[in-house]
Amino acid sequence: METQRPNPDLLLQQIMGEEQKRQVRGKLKIFFGYAAGVGKTYAMLEAAHQASKAGIDVAVGYIEPHARPDTLALLDGLELIPPLLMDHKGVAIREFDLDRALARRPQLILIDELAHTNADSCRHAKRYQDVEELLKAGIDVYTTVNVQHLESLNDVVASITGITVRERLPDTVFDNADQVELVDIEPDELIQRLSQGKIYQKRQARQALAHFFSKTNLVALREIALLRSAERVNKTAEKRDYYAGEHILICLSASPSNAKVIRTAARMADAFHGKFTALFVERETESETVAQRGLTENLRLAEQLGARIATVYGDDVAYQIAEYAKASGVTKVIIGRSNNVKYWWSSKANLVERLTSLAPALDIYIIPDTLSPYRNKRRLLGKVQGEGFSFEDVAVSLAILIFTTLLGFWFDHLKFGEASIIMLYILGVLVTALVTKGKLYSAFSSLISVFAFNYFFTAPQFAFQVFDTEYPVTFLFLLIVSIIVSTLTSKVKMQAKQAAQKAYRTEVLLETSQHFQSAQTQQEILTELARQMLRLLDRTVLIYPVKEEQQELSEPLVFAKDAELESELYTTPDERAVAVWVYKNNKHAGATTNTLPGARCLYMAVRSHETVFAVAAIAIGQRETLGAFEKNLLVAMLGECGLALEKDLVTKTKNQIAIQAQQEQLRANLLRAISHDLRTPLTSISGNAGILMENGDILNEEKKKQLYSDILDDSIWLINLVENLLSVTRIENGTMNLTMQSELVDEVIQEALRHVNRRSSEHDIRVNLEDDMLMAKMDSRLILQVIINIVDNAIQYTDPGSHITIAARKSKDMILFEISDDGAGIPDEAKSKLFDMFYTVDKNRGDGRRGLGLGLSLCKSIIHAHGGIIGVKDHAPHGLTFYFTLYSEEVNCDV
Amino acid sequence: MYKPRILVVEDDKAVRNLITTTLETQGYQYHTASTGGESIMEAISNQPDVVILDLGLPDMDGVDIIKKIRGWSNMPIIVVSARSEDRDKIDALDAGADDFLTKPFSVEELLARLRVTLRRLRYDVEKAGKSSSVFVNGELKIDYAAGCAYIADAEVHLTPIEYRLLCLLAKNVGKVLTHNYILKEVWGNALPGDTPSLRVFMATLRKKIEKNPSQPQYIQTHIGIGYRMLRIPE
Repeated sequence: METQRPNPDLLLQQIMGEEQKRQVRGKLKIFFGYAAGVGKTYAMLEAAHQASKAGIDVAVGYIEPHARPDTLALLDGLELIPPLLMDHKGVAIREFDLDRALARRPQLILIDELAHTNADSCRHAKRYQDVEELLKAGIDVYTTVNVQHLESLNDVVASITGITVRERLPDTVFDNADQVELVDIEPDELIQRLSQGKIYQKRQARQALAHFFSKTNLVALREIALLRSAERVNKTAEKRDYYAGEHILICLSASPSNAKVIRTAARMADAFHGKFTALFVERETESETVAQRGLTENLRLAEQLGARIATVYGDDVAYQIAEYAKASGVTKVIIGRSNNVKYWWSSKANLVERLTSLAPALDIYIIPDTLSPYRNKRRLLGKVQGEGFSFEDVAVSLAILIFTTLLGFWFDHLKFGEASIIMLYILGVLVTALVTKGKLYSAFSSLISVFAFNYFFTAPQFAFQVFDTEYPVTFLFLLIVSIIVSTLTSKVKMQAKQAAQKAYRTEVLLETSQHFQSAQTQQEILTELARQMLRLLDRTVLIYPVKEEQQELSEPLVFAKDAELESELYTTPDERAVAVWVYKNNKHAGATTNTLPGARCLYMAVRSHETVFAVAAIAIGQRETLGAFEKNLLVAMLGECGLALEKDLVTKTKNQIAIQAQQEQLRANLLRAISHDLRTPLTSISGNAGILMENGDILNEEKKKQLYSDILDDSIWLINLVENLLSVTRIENGTMNLTMQSELVDEVIQEALRHVNRRSSEHDIRVNLEDDMLMAKMDSRLILQVIINIVDNAIQYTDPGSHITIAARKSKDMILFEISDDGAGIPDEAKSKLFDMFYTVDKNRGDGRRGLGLGLSLCKSIIHAHGGIIGVKDHAPHGLTFYFTLYSEEVNCDV
Repeated sequence: MYKPRILVVEDDKAVRNLITTTLETQGYQYHTASTGGESIMEAISNQPDVVILDLGLPDMDGVDIIKKIRGWSNMPIIVVSARSEDRDKIDALDAGADDFLTKPFSVEELLARLRVTLRRLRYDVEKAGKSSSVFVNGELKIDYAAGCAYIADAEVHLTPIEYRLLCLLAKNVGKVLTHNYILKEVWGNALPGDTPSLRVFMATLRKKIEKNPSQPQYIQTHIGIGYRMLRIPE
C-alpha cells in the first residue's frame, strides 16, 4: 500500500477500527441504468459537482466522447485527466490513462462505462480491473453501468433485445460496489428524448428506435434493472458469512451453451446464498484444440461469477459428478440439455438417469439449450476438427485390413474354416484399436471387415451377396464382437493413459515436494521449483524472489529452455513491471490472462496464505496456452513451493529467536562477569587517587610513585577491557561486520606490539617473519585485537624475562601466525576450554581478575569470522604456542 | 619566546581539563570551546596555530566543522575521537584534518602529535621565503627538478611509482594521508582492489629509505587508515 499523507479525517477513520479496512480502500459508486440515454453520465457529473463543492478533490478520468451536449456542458469546472491516445490499426482510440490517474491521485475520480473492454496495449483487459486498482490505491470512483452489461443478465437481455453484448461486467463488481444509484426514467420519456435527437443523431435514432428502443424492450429492460437493483439491496441487507447449506455444482464443458448453464447456476447460487463449484471432468476423449479454447472461456466465466473450480479425472462423467457431489456435499446439480442427448444406439442410460441412480439425494436442474446461429457455426467447426482426424491412422487401419485379408486368402488356400478367418478379422480390429487413437478407426475397421469377409470369403466370392441364410447372422455377430472388442480395447488404453498421467502428476508433485524438503534455503527451494517447472513445461522459467526486508522483488533467476540467450527478451523493464504487479496484487497476470495480456510470460505468485514469497514467470509464445493438466499441476506445484518457503521462513524465525535467546544469555553472563571484575580496578583507582589527594603531603615520593603507577596500570587494564567489550558487541549484534582489507603482516604485528601491555618491557619479544612482504586479508582493527590479546596473555602468564616469539609464514593460501612463549604452559584439559567465554586459568590465583576470560573467546570469534582457524599447542621444551590462520593476499606488483 | 596558541574544542570537562593542563605544563597558550558554534567563533577571532578538535560535539558534526574551517584557513587540525571506527577518522582526514588521536590517549602521545604538527608549521613558514625545488627532511633529500631522491647524499634508485609516492608524502609532510587519497593522487583512481599494491610499494619504498624498516623513521603506518611522513627534528 502506498503511503498517504496523514490527514485528520483519515486518522479519525483509522481509529474507528472496524471501518478501517474499507476506508483505506476507495469507495465505488455505480450509476446504474437500463438503457443508453437514461442520464447516468449526467447524474454522475452532477454528483461530482456536488462533491467538488463539498471540498473533495475530484478529477474526471474518462467520459465517453460521444456524450450528449447537455452532459458535456457539465464537464465545465471539473479537472480532466487527459486520456491515453492510441493507435489501433490506423484508428486513433482514446483510453483511460490509469497510470496518470494513479500519479494524480485525486480523492474521487469519474470513469464512464465500467464494462468497457480496453485496447490491447492497456495494462488490463477490462476497465473494471483499472477501477479495482484505483480502489486499492484508496481512490473513490464514480462510474456508470447499463443493465445489459451485467454478466449474469447477459442471456436474459439478449433474449429480449436480440443483441448479444460483448462487453460484460462480472456481477461481483456490481454487488460489491459500495453504492449503486439507479438512474431511472419513464420509457416514454426516453423514447421522446431519443426522437428529439438528444441521444443519437436523427438518422441513427430512427434505426435505434426500430430495433433496440422499442417500448416493449425498454419496459422489459427497466423491469430487469429494477429487479436487479432490488436484489442487490436484498443481498446487502442480508450479507452474511454463512452458506445456507446449499452447494451448487455445474459441470464445465467446452460447449458454448455451457456459458448459459454457468450464469444460471451463478444466479441460483446467489439466490440461495450457496456455495458454487464448477467441476471439470477431464476425459481422454476431450479433444485438445478448438474445444480447449471454449473450455478456457467457460472456465474464466465461472471464475468471474465466483465459482470455485475443481478438476477430476475419469471417463464416466456421471460417476465423477456423483462422487464429487457426495464428497463435497453438493446439493444441486445444474445440467445443460446439450449434455443430455441420448443417442438411439447408446446402450448407456443418459447422464441425468445415471446421476439420479448414482446420487439419489441430488437435486438436478436442466437448463434448456437455445441455439443461436453463431453457436451452431461454432459447433460444426468443433465437430470436424474435434475428432482429431489423422491420415496416418487411416493408413494404418487400411494396412491392417489388407494384411488381414491377404492372410485370410492364405488360410482359405490352406482350407482353414471360416471361423478362423472371422477370428483373424476380429484380431485385425483389435490391433487397429490398439495402434490408433479414438474409437472411430476400429469401428470403421469392424464394418469394413464384415464387408471384406462377405466379399472375399463367402460364396459367392467377389460379390456382396450371400447364398447361405446363415451368413447375415455371422456378419452381425462379427460386427458386434469386433465393435465391442474395439471399444474395450480403446477404453483400456485410455484408462492406462489416464492412470499414467495421474501417476506422473503424483510422481512430479511428490518429487517436487521431496526436493523442497531437502532444500535448505529460499534460494535452493526456488531453484528447485524452477527446475521442476522447466522439466514439466519445457518453457523458459523466471523466478523473482521477494526480498524480505525491502518488500520488493529482486533480480530474477532465469532458467532458459535453450542455452541460447533469449532471456533478455523476458527481463525487460516491462516484463518486470508485470511481475511487480503480480507481487503487489497477489493475482495471476501476463500472457493468457486478462491482466496485461501483452506480456511475454505468464506470471504467477508463489504464495502461502496471503504472503507472496516469489513470482514465477513462464514464457508463453503468442497464441499459445497452457493445457488444463499442466496448469493444474503448476498451481499445485506453486502451492507446494509456497508451503516449503513458509516452512523455511518459520524455521528461520525460530532459529533467530534461538540465537537471540543465546545472545541474551551471553550478555547476561557478560554483565555478571563485568560487574564483578570492574569493581576491583575501579576500587584501586578511586582509592589511590583519594589517598593522593588527601594525604599527598605526608607520603614520600617513592610511595606516591607507586600509587600513581597503580592507578595507571588499573586504568590501562580497564581500557583493554573496554576495547574487548566493544569488539564483542560488534560480533554479538548479528553477523560480524568485517571491513576486509589487505594488510602487510609485518605492519600489523609492529602496530600490535606498540599497544601491548607496558609490562612487555620485562619480556623479550621477537618477531620472526619468513618474508616481510606477507600480506593477509583481514579487518585490521580486529586482528590487532587478536594479536594484542594473545601477546598480553603470554606476558601475563609468564614470568618476567621469558621469551615471546611472533612468527608468521605462508602455508598454501593461508598465512599461519604462531605466538609462542617459554612459560610454564597449561595442562591439556585446560587447552580445550581456553577459548570458552569467561574461562580463566587458575581461578584461585590472587589476581584472577586480570583475566576476564573474554580475550581468547573473542579471538576465536574473530578468527572464525575471517574464515580461519585458531588453536593452542605445547611449545617445546616448555610453554605454549597459540596459532591462527588468515587468508593470504596475492599481490600483483605490475600496476 | 613565541608561545604557540592552541584551540581546544572538547565538550567533556574532564578531558578538556586534562588537555589544557598538559598544554600549560608545556608552555603553550590555549583557548577552549565546548560547542561547534563556539569553536568556529574562536577559530575566527583568535586565529590559533593548531586546533585540537573532538569529533563528537553536541551541536555539530566534527567533520562539518573541519569543512567550515577549511573553507577559509589551512590551520592544522588534530582530531580527537572516542569513536573507534576507522571510517570516522578517514572521513575527518579526507575532509582536511591533519592528524588524529583516539580516546583513550596518553598525554605523551598528545604532545608528540602536537610537536609533529608544529614542526611542520614552522617548516612551512620558513619555506615560504625560499624557492622549494629541493625538499630536505633529516637525511632524506628530494630534488624535484632532477627527479632524484637521496639518503645521506647517496642517490636512492626508485621506480616511478615509488618516486611519486615519496613526493606525495613529502609535499604533505606531517599530515596523515588516507589510502584512498594516495591511490587517487598516485594511481589516478581509487579502486579498493589497489590497496594491496599500495602496501607493497610502500614497503619497498621504505626498504630503500629507512635504516630499519620495522622501526620506520620517515614513513609511519596508520593501520586501516593510511600513511604519514614524519618531519625529522633538525
